[in-house]
Amino acid sequence: MTIEATTPSGERMILNMGPHHPATHGVLRIVVESDGEVVANCTPDHGYLHRSIEKIGECVEWQMFVPYTDRIDYVCAMNANLAYCVGVEQLLRSDPGTAVQVPFRAECIRVLVAELNRISSHMIAVGAMAMDVGAVTPFLHSIAQREMVNDIFEKLCGQRLTYNYITVGGVAYDLTPGAPDEIASFLNTFEKEMVRFNKLITTNTIFRDRCASVAVVTSDEAIAWGLVGPNLRGSGVDWDLRRDEPYGIYGQLAVRVPFGERFAGRHGAVGDCYDRYIVRLLEVQESVRLCREVLKLLPPPAPKATDQTGGFQADVKKQLARPPKGEMYSRTEAPRGEMGYFIVSDGTKVPYRVRCRTGSFSAAGIFHHVMKGIFLADVVAVIGSFDVVVPEIDR
Amino acid sequence: MSDLGYAVDALAQWLAGSGKPGWFAVLLAAITVWVLPMLLVIFPIASLGQIFERKIAAAIQRRVGPNSVGLDGPLRFAFRMLLCFLPRTTQDKAFATFTNLPGIRQFLRIAKSLGLGQLAADGVKMLGKEDLIPAGADGIVFRLAPYLALTGAFLPFCVVPFAHHLVMLEVPVGALYAIAASGVTVMALKMAGWGSGSKWSMLGGMRAVAQLVSYEIPVGLAVAGVVLWCGTMDLHAIVGQQYHSGVFSLLGWNLLQSPFLLLLACVLFFGGLAECQRTPFDMAEAESELVSGFNIEYSGLRWGMFAMAEYTEMLLVGSLVATLFLGGYQSPIGEQWLVSLPVAIETLLHITIFILKVLASFLLMMWIRWTLPRFRVDQVMRLCWLTLVPLCLLSLLGIAVTMLAGGGAEMGEAYGRLPARLQPQLGTTGHLLGWAIPLAIGIVVVRIARKRHGQVHPALQRLTGGGA
Repeated sequence: MTIEATTPSGERMILNMGPHHPATHGVLRIVVESDGEVVANCTPDHGYLHRSIEKIGECVEWQMFVPYTDRIDYVCAMNANLAYCVGVEQLLRSDPGTAVQVPFRAECIRVLVAELNRISSHMIAVGAMAMDVGAVTPFLHSIAQREMVNDIFEKLCGQRLTYNYITVGGVAYDLTPGAPDEIASFLNTFEKEMVRFNKLITTNTIFRDRCASVAVVTSDEAIAWGLVGPNLRGSGVDWDLRRDEPYGIYGQLAVRVPFGERFAGRHGAVGDCYDRYIVRLLEVQESVRLCREVLKLLPPPAPKATDQTGGFQADVKKQLARPPKGEMYSRTEAPRGEMGYFIVSDGTKVPYRVRCRTGSFSAAGIFHHVMKGIFLADVVAVIGSFDVVVPEIDR
Repeated sequence: MSDLGYAVDALAQWLAGSGKPGWFAVLLAAITVWVLPMLLVIFPIASLGQIFERKIAAAIQRRVGPNSVGLDGPLRFAFRMLLCFLPRTTQDKAFATFTNLPGIRQFLRIAKSLGLGQLAADGVKMLGKEDLIPAGADGIVFRLAPYLALTGAFLPFCVVPFAHHLVMLEVPVGALYAIAASGVTVMALKMAGWGSGSKWSMLGGMRAVAQLVSYEIPVGLAVAGVVLWCGTMDLHAIVGQQYHSGVFSLLGWNLLQSPFLLLLACVLFFGGLAECQRTPFDMAEAESELVSGFNIEYSGLRWGMFAMAEYTEMLLVGSLVATLFLGGYQSPIGEQWLVSLPVAIETLLHITIFILKVLASFLLMMWIRWTLPRFRVDQVMRLCWLTLVPLCLLSLLGIAVTMLAGGGAEMGEAYGRLPARLQPQLGTTGHLLGWAIPLAIGIVVVRIARKRHGQVHPALQRLTGGGA
């Protein structure tokens, strides 16, 4: 649904949304050229949160860059860690002499924390989206669930936001003895809570009508604009790296991929805000299932950390001191879509170049395109539905 | 007899005893009737609204809410003020002795756990804030708006009967007056939005005006339905009309007279929700998009007046719903025994019942606010013009037909003194038919609509725990 902005005199009002606007999920600035309630044009203005993380990557050692990846996407730091570590491991694997074999238990833990972090990240996404549409309560309920995940992570690595947990060659610490049971019981309560959450907001008619047919991105458009992750799948494209280009042990897991199917019913369209929102919720369900599957696969801990099955951290000191020369692009499926690292190595212990490709960046690219002709109130809903996290755009 | 309305006259007469009431008795009566309800009923509830809201929001969001600011501070302050001629140690000793009294100690603990002191804290905070007028603001308009908002919120209470013997004015056009007087708020919001000199607040003001002006139509039509049914615009006469002698006095309430009146009650409530810009109609102060809407530039006491006006308007909607549809101050059970009690006790009971009814709407509004998301501009307008207005017109038609079928109503007097048309005596069969026919039609329509548009995507069913 787009509305032509038609003021007889052609007079328009420039509205500055952000950088300190409560609905822009961080310091995102959007200059809205509005015709009353209708947005005639909008220009996102990025860069308020630029911290030169990629440049820092050229100054620190391979392993020391991991904490910086936390800051690239602090809403799902585990996935950001994972993306970088998978990239470095892939680089090391390009030379048989330096190849790293990540212990199986570590791989399981990685998938476990990545999926848990996906749950907690999507909880922020759907909660914030509900809040952008005007319902405050669902946000608090979803944040409560995120807190539960944070509790698990805190026991795991001592941090609640920026974990620095996944390392090249494994993970920093083994699971605590009670952790699998704790995670299993969390998953059980979480599923029940999600049913309540969905009854509260997802199937709410007002919410559905607010999101239906707003900012429709067709599948062709989504591919052309380079959307990734839930935003791409929301447009009906069946593509998920975990299934189509598996990394880690995702190949051994049966990943089912939800995609947009005009969930809003007759008023909706494939690729509208509601589809993107629902895809996230379905992904959360999928993550719960994957976590359970991984918990079954999880081998018992071994006394030695470098043990090939029961260990949690391969010894990579030698390999990281002399990594193979060359460049490597590797990508993983983070909650906000593909997170890829382009890494260039000159054979020293410091990367020559580290560049990052993030989901929010491409999502922010399509803003000005989809926000033409929507209502001002929908601008925030659209930002929410694309689930942009500003540090991921600016880096 | 003076000509200050029934309640003042009656009270003055009662105060004066058998003789003609002197000026003092009249003054006392006027103050009691005109000022006390505002001061003792509306004002405290409206200011307590914030606490209510926070507590209810907390309960809905599984939080505790305000739980650490008790009344100790204000109490200590009061002691300091009262005993200012004594040395400080003595003041403190007196305060300690007082708080150690058994009842007081428990009370203070409860007050603390309920966060009652938050009210005082908020008040002091609001008073202490800088009274900021933005550089681009239109000073006079900006300053005037909060007063106007408060005026528009308080004026309609003049005609609302709080108890049989406590109604400020029995105006023959009371219902019309209430709607008209609350219309002042539109002007206030527009002024606030315009005068602030901010684009965001202007957008909020524009939205508020568009919404308020539109929703006055369904609200007016809903009131018109009751007026048609009761044959009077005097709110007190409408209340008197709903008197039903018998154990279950609630059978006389307008709400239960006809499904059309029930429908109108819903329209009035939701239209009222829109009139005070509460969720889901709070686009004028949409937190997520306009940040705070028309009052974004206001601070301190001026902002406080807007907040107060909002809560007062919520009370107004509650009292209109109660007055027009829920029998006003009448008790749901055994009203006939209540009116035979001594006047003072009867009045107190009536006020209590009325407040409870108003609070019920008040709480329902908060429940809705903390549950639902917000409509968009076009949806608000569509709901008004394409749903509520046709529903109102349909109900008006239905009421007219019901009255015709019931053989019309006879002229009579409500409470033996107020001119009103007595409700048509439909009899048991008439009542049953009056409910059964519209309900059957309604159910059929809803069923057809459900069948046609009600399919839910299987994925959504799975998300809500149903399906495979």
